Amino acid sequence: MKPAILTDLSLCIGCEACVMACKEINDLPRDTDPGTLSATTWTALETHDDIHVRRQCMHCLEPACASVCPVGALQKTPEGPVIYDESRCIGCRYCMIGCPFNIPKYEWDSANPRVRKCIFCFEKALSIGKQPACTAACPTGATKFGDRDALLEEARHRIADHPDRYVDHIYGEEEAGGTSVLYLSSVPFEELGFKTGVRNDPYPRLTWNVLSKLPNVVSVSGASLLGFWWLTKRKDTLERVRRGEITLEEAKRQEPHLFGGEK
Amino acid sequence: MITRFKTWYDRLTLWRMVTLTLLALGLYAGVIRFTRGLGAATHLSDSFPWGLWIGFDVLVGVGLAAGGFVIAATVHVFRLKRFEPIARPTILTAFLGYLLVVVALFFDLGRPWNIWHPLVMWNPHSVMFEVGWCVMLYTTVLALEFSPLVLERLGLTVPLRVVRSIYVPLVILGVLLSTLHQSSLGTLYVIAPDKLYGLWYTPLLPVFFFLTAVAGGLAMTIFESFLSQRAFGKKLERSLLEALGRAGVVVLGIYIVWRLEDIAGRGNFGLIFQLTPESSLFWGEILLGAILPMVLFATPRIRRSESGLFFAAVLTVMGFILYRLNVAVTGMTRASGTVYLPSWMELSVTASVVAMGFVLFGFAVRHLAIFPRAEVASPIRDRVSKPSRPPRGTVPKGALAGLWLLFIVGAVIVGAGLLESPDGSQASVVPVPPGKEERPVALHLPPPFLFPPSEDSHGPVTFDHRSHVDERRPRCATCHSELFSLLRPGQPQAGPWTYESVHEGALCASCHDGDHAHAMDECDSCHRAED
Repeated sequence: MKPAILTDLSLCIGCEACVMACKEINDLPRDTDPGTLSATTWTALETHDDIHVRRQCMHCLEPACASVCPVGALQKTPEGPVIYDESRCIGCRYCMIGCPFNIPKYEWDSANPRVRKCIFCFEKALSIGKQPACTAACPTGATKFGDRDALLEEARHRIADHPDRYVDHIYGEEEAGGTSVLYLSSVPFEELGFKTGVRNDPYPRLTWNVLSKLPNVVSVSGASLLGFWWLTKRKDTLERVRRGEITLEEAKRQEPHLFGGEK
Repeated sequence: MITRFKTWYDRLTLWRMVTLTLLALGLYAGVIRFTRGLGAATHLSDSFPWGLWIGFDVLVGVGLAAGGFVIAATVHVFRLKRFEPIARPTILTAFLGYLLVVVALFFDLGRPWNIWHPLVMWNPHSVMFEVGWCVMLYTTVLALEFSPLVLERLGLTVPLRVVRSIYVPLVILGVLLSTLHQSSLGTLYVIAPDKLYGLWYTPLLPVFFFLTAVAGGLAMTIFESFLSQRAFGKKLERSLLEALGRAGVVVLGIYIVWRLEDIAGRGNFGLIFQLTPESSLFWGEILLGAILPMVLFATPRIRRSESGLFFAAVLTVMGFILYRLNVAVTGMTRASGTVYLPSWMELSVTASVVAMGFVLFGFAVRHLAIFPRAEVASPIRDRVSKPSRPPRGTVPKGALAGLWLLFIVGAVIVGAGLLESPDGSQASVVPVPPGKEERPVALHLPPPFLFPPSEDSHGPVTFDHRSHVDERRPRCATCHSELFSLLRPGQPQAGPWTYESVHEGALCASCHDGDHAHAMDECDSCHRAED
């Protein structure tokens, strides 16, 4: 099973139970804006003209944040959730640059700051066989926990059964190479603040395309530089021999590597 | 003692005052940053997590130190020995540059005490991991490349011989490491195609970062030779600097053609001609910071005049700085939806890092054989007048003044462009038409909850969500999780479950006060015999 969440925006009534459940299970202060993702609000409820949009980490199948993290503080667990280990973090905030959905938030006012984001209740619920707090708390079933393939199947059925009710797109099925959090909507996603320009190829491949070439760059340019040095050094030494500063025998004795094998 | 004091007092020149002021401001900003966090000291935010410290202190700092590997390779690998006189100051600049980048990183990293983590916690998929390793190794290489000067001074012949025997492999290693991380600083942004503006985003960022680092490093070497002439009366290696200028023509030429060709190839050529803050900064970067200096370096009359060479080098360095800042700040602004301008504390930390560079350079020149002895006119302290600099230049002063003016006007325009709000062509959010039809949404409220009565209770209480919630528009947050847990039914959050807390305190009574909801004056309204 690939744990996933399907949020059907047409069923959300904006009660904020998910936001409060998230704050309760993660012990986050409740006095911050529940409508904006922040270091203390890991799932937020945005309202766009009567339509409520629950934002949270998308838990990409190939997450950019985990790929860019130099110390592996953000990691994709084999189970699926993308989790954070603050004891590894150096605070470079590259995850915030790398995430195509702008999810990771930072404790800007702390002298010992952490990156904060939804971690799918990995330790507190998922790993003990329970569903995340947000989906458990939802009173309408607008946001639902389940297996990714099953939820995709269900989402396709809902679109097929009510083509008048949904736009024909499951946000997260392809975005950024696929995400564990999926959305259905009755209005086009770009009108709800969703990033619709997101690529369908996994983001980590963009940098891996470059990084994977580096061993070649190193070996080819290393060999070339050594070659250049050997040629110029040999030329210089022979020039000194020609000018009579040293004899060829002396040169061969001092720097045999320049005249390897020559008698 | 009194004489010493006087000497110290006499030495307090204008520049030393400026330096001390900058260091003091930087120190203050540092205290704020480390006690109250990045938010208190910087204008960084969740929308704009990388600012001046990454853009200038790291990207520019590392790039301008690129002269170190370029000159080291020229002298020791390609064996163009005539460049040897400028090798030592250039390697010194590079070494100090990298040390200061590390100092700046301590300010920018949220948890700098973990800076060593990449050594033991590996993620080879991360560009940052690769940059971290390269910078660390290259700083070590630079320290070794630089060490002969210190060892000479201390008269330690054995380690000196060891370092000299591995010098060429060391230089080659340095060139490789530099090639890797100079380019990788550009690769950092390759993962942000939706965030970096089209004039700067390209998978070729690593190539362009490398090329501009070479050009910037060459220009910086010229620039700092002029500064050394002014500050220490060092003889100017004019023919060498001219040769660096000629090399600059080639590197800048390749870069300009490739860059423009890449923008066109990605279908973004139109962006150059739209009137946006981005396009004006792009023009500043390419026209004033790359094309103009290339033309100046390529014109023999200008290249041979001291002022022309100096001006072209300054333009190249400025263009380089602008390129790095355009990638780190300008290009990231539109997608972020905010306008980032550094705080005075960010500026003062950056300024004091630069000032520290000058102080350390001066210190090294005074105590180590950075320049060949004969070339330094006199110790700086004893110098009364500037070394005479015959006006060798053939470029009319008026033309140069005009160019400077153009540069300053350009910088002002570009600066004004930065201040503009970046929302110009951002897709405005179309008002969403009201939902197609009102859909009844089934609300699954938890089942009624029976509070177990205590012994002296008036009767059991059954709590039912249906009588507490507007089913069309429930607001769960009114009671959850401030008063009662959402996750554990019946579990109070605001204090223990007692008679007082229920009837007078923070639980039921906080709403049932006769004002927000009916008062608790009739026991039977809640305590009912079970149905």
